[in-house]
Amino acid sequence: MSSYSIRTLDELKEFLHRAMQLEHATIPPYLTALYSIKPGVNQDATQVLRVIVVEEMLHLTIAANILNAIGGTPDLARPDFAASYPASLPDGETDFEVGIQAFSREALATFLKIERPAQRPKQLAGKGLIQRKTSANTTALGSHPRYEDLHFYSIGEFYSAIAEGIEYLEAEAHRQGTTIFTGDGSRQITPEFYYSGGGTLFPVTDRKSALEAIALIIEQGEGDGGGIYDNDEHELAHYYRFEELVKGRYYQKGDQPGHPTGPQVQVDWEGAYPIKANLKVAEIPEGSELREAAAAFNARYGEFLQLLTRAYNGQPSLLLEAVPTMFEFRNTILELIRNPLPNHPGMNGSPTYEIPGSTKQAAPTRQSEVIA
Amino acid sequence: MLFPLESTLKADAKTVAGSGEYDVVIVGSGISGAIIAKQAAEAGKRVLMLEAGTGANITLAGYDDLLTTFYSAVSKDNQSPFPVNANAAMPRSPKLRKLQAGETDSSTYIVQSGPYVSDTTYTRIFGGTTMHWEAKTPRMLRSDFKTRSIFGQGLDWPLSFEEIEDDYRLAEREIGVSANVEDQQYLGQTFPGDYVFPMRGLPLSYLDQQVNKGIEGTSVELCGKTYPLKVRPYPQGRNSIPNPAYDGGKGYRPIGAVDTHQVEEGGRCQGNTNCVPLCPVQARYHSGKTLAKAFAKNAKAGERLVELLAQAVASKVDIDPDNGKVRSLEVKVYKDPASAAHETITVKGKVFVFAAGAIETARLMLASGLRSTSGLVGRNLMDHAYLLNWALMPQICGTMRGTSSTGGIVDLRDGPFRERQAAFAIDIHNDGWGWATGAPTSDLLELVDDRNLHGADLRRGMVDRVSRQLLLAFMLEVMPDESNRITVDPQYTDALGNMRPILSFTVPEYTMKGAAYGRRFARTVFARLGAQDHTHYDPSDFGYVAYEGQGYAIRGGNHLAGTHIMGTTRTNSVVDKNQRSWDHENLYLVGGGSMPTIGTANVTLTLAAMCFRSSRDILKYLH
Repeated sequence: MSSYSIRTLDELKEFLHRAMQLEHATIPPYLTALYSIKPGVNQDATQVLRVIVVEEMLHLTIAANILNAIGGTPDLARPDFAASYPASLPDGETDFEVGIQAFSREALATFLKIERPAQRPKQLAGKGLIQRKTSANTTALGSHPRYEDLHFYSIGEFYSAIAEGIEYLEAEAHRQGTTIFTGDGSRQITPEFYYSGGGTLFPVTDRKSALEAIALIIEQGEGDGGGIYDNDEHELAHYYRFEELVKGRYYQKGDQPGHPTGPQVQVDWEGAYPIKANLKVAEIPEGSELREAAAAFNARYGEFLQLLTRAYNGQPSLLLEAVPTMFEFRNTILELIRNPLPNHPGMNGSPTYEIPGSTKQAAPTRQSEVIA
Repeated sequence: MLFPLESTLKADAKTVAGSGEYDVVIVGSGISGAIIAKQAAEAGKRVLMLEAGTGANITLAGYDDLLTTFYSAVSKDNQSPFPVNANAAMPRSPKLRKLQAGETDSSTYIVQSGPYVSDTTYTRIFGGTTMHWEAKTPRMLRSDFKTRSIFGQGLDWPLSFEEIEDDYRLAEREIGVSANVEDQQYLGQTFPGDYVFPMRGLPLSYLDQQVNKGIEGTSVELCGKTYPLKVRPYPQGRNSIPNPAYDGGKGYRPIGAVDTHQVEEGGRCQGNTNCVPLCPVQARYHSGKTLAKAFAKNAKAGERLVELLAQAVASKVDIDPDNGKVRSLEVKVYKDPASAAHETITVKGKVFVFAAGAIETARLMLASGLRSTSGLVGRNLMDHAYLLNWALMPQICGTMRGTSSTGGIVDLRDGPFRERQAAFAIDIHNDGWGWATGAPTSDLLELVDDRNLHGADLRRGMVDRVSRQLLLAFMLEVMPDESNRITVDPQYTDALGNMRPILSFTVPEYTMKGAAYGRRFARTVFARLGAQDHTHYDPSDFGYVAYEGQGYAIRGGNHLAGTHIMGTTRTNSVVDKNQRSWDHENLYLVGGGSMPTIGTANVTLTLAAMCFRSSRDILKYLH
């Protein structure tokens, strides 16, 4: 057993909290890129981004279901929950920054990194976690609670650690005639709250459903076992959908990774509003309407995270109330993105996602090294 | 279910003409044709579907193009998303004008022969009229199936409610109807003990609730009977929350959408309010969803079972004089909607299904000289007559929020008064006065041009005006009348040389009596709500009908029916109760045209149910 393995139920709960944090952290970048697209262009890209955002919300909810199943308490309002952008994510030996930016080639390059299927090269097999290169003040997504200065090789490895932790702790519990799945079933979010292009929402009640839930999250992001589709050959993984946009061509059944052969996809890389990446409220002149709108958005977003927390803590029907809030967000984000940023000629505003009460601050980066 | 990529590869005319016999040849890709195609494919049958439109909206990009056209259109009428295509023309209401006595107007696609000018529409593109429908899905009432016996009005169906009930449930599954059983148990409607609709009912809008507050607990008297007033939710063919109790606890998953690349499954209803003409998120059912499943069916050898030939207009039916069977179908296939250039091919099949809508199916039969033994092809044309009543509510009611129509006053859908006058169902329109006055555009123009408002005053002015608008649309029963009919005449042809439909219609007195009562009813409701009546009917309106000294602007409901009614014998009807032609044993005329009466139910759910019945008969015939 590696020293990085999950050994206690509390640790598993903390890992699942971080899984929720990780899934949530992908939503602001995807949502901002989606809403930065100008009307009338990039219809395919709009649909690709939209469905992926929706599936990330599914992943967030699935992670909450697993946490609830083992008696945990999802808390999206915890001060360390909301990421500060740019945040860092593991990508093989390095980690990289995920920021808030307009739809662009650069944004897509980042998105590909988020979803990249990562398998360790031979020389790194069994070598454990990797030293972070980013400052300890940066939100490090997918990190190990006991080793904050290290990161997993990939998001896939992060989730594998959770799956192994579940198997280990449940086997331990079994030996003592008990189970780790002691959560209140009424806290589970059930299928009627979600349907979309891919994946299903299901209650997590035991080892089997918990492992299925983790497999779904991994496969929707990365694909199944090196293939471009998920395990029922039905749904293209996020990585390959983003790749379709970059390569300008759709995948079709039978295609090999990296070589889509379907119809062309038209992408207009100029067809997005020029927003200032990773904008902070402090950069917007005081007293301007834009600053007021950006701050108001952040406050509402904070309330939204509190609403989700209540929904994940025994009041699932509150998710219905979250829907009009998402429309409100769309309207506010469009206002922010389509208006000029004072004192920055040629640049527009953006939501900043600085959630009141959040503790993380962005800071400079440092060198990385592999830790044995 | 997602639209498979290969389904976008359309069949070409040469392959179709040279490919021998199909098991089933279907004309039209609306809900009737889609259901039959899917049922046949699931039984392993080879199906050819002919669609007059371009088929461009089979892809999500094509669907989105329709939305873009709609967003940029000045007039937001039912047909505004759909490009003009002279080869598969469709009625477009803004072009209509009032007729002088004896006058015929051939300037629009449907030749209006009067005296009543109907703005009824149907949509000739992939998906048919389900591409623009409002998606309300009430069932017909038990009494609607035997109005002749009970009320001495209209005709009895050869089918009873009990005989069609199971198929109603299949249709509700196919469409994915959102409704709560407890809301639909009025006027004696019953559901088996464990039945639930596939999805939970959509909530009543705030406007509905405000109207209900003003009328609940009050009642009206008619012909000695008291009718309590209340706003009830409509069942809807649009996605809400799947009911986990559906299908004995198996639940329901909404499936299918126009999509080639797994980007959209058909969202949940978001209350965008432009349900008609086109839902931006495919929450509203359209037959492309059923066809997505049909196209995914493969034969054992892996080849597709359902082929779609678009830009193919059926023009003539060829009958074998020896046995009366349909031998083949002449089809004009055009290359480009902008040009009338086309080739004519012959399509062969074991069974032919005409599912082109009540008007186009009758037109095709009549253009082929097939009036049927009964002579009733084209006759008994029906469409719900709508009478609009509009008023300003005393308080802000949130008009323009929510699905087009979520609730209505429906307790006068049935009663002994039907011996004398038409029943009606009232829709409360969440989209304000748009249908009656062109709001909110008309309000904006008035506030800017006449009152010089701008900035915050203009915004406030719009909110004050629009969010208090209440439109009650009375959907009035229209009974079959043989003189209300579709005919053809070689002097009126379209770009491809096909004869156009000629419409002759008089709004029956039975209906006008209901309209006159409806107008009084609306005044009563407005008075109880404290709403200010703004209704007026312009004598120059194309649909203006005078009745007992008053005038009413009657609108078409786009619920076309009756041109090939079903009945008990070949002399009293065109088709039997399975929608099979009495005269041609391998021909099915399906859809609203088969309905002998339409009651006060929007026709789609009923005609969808009938097509499940016909599918079974077709499969039996093929075996």
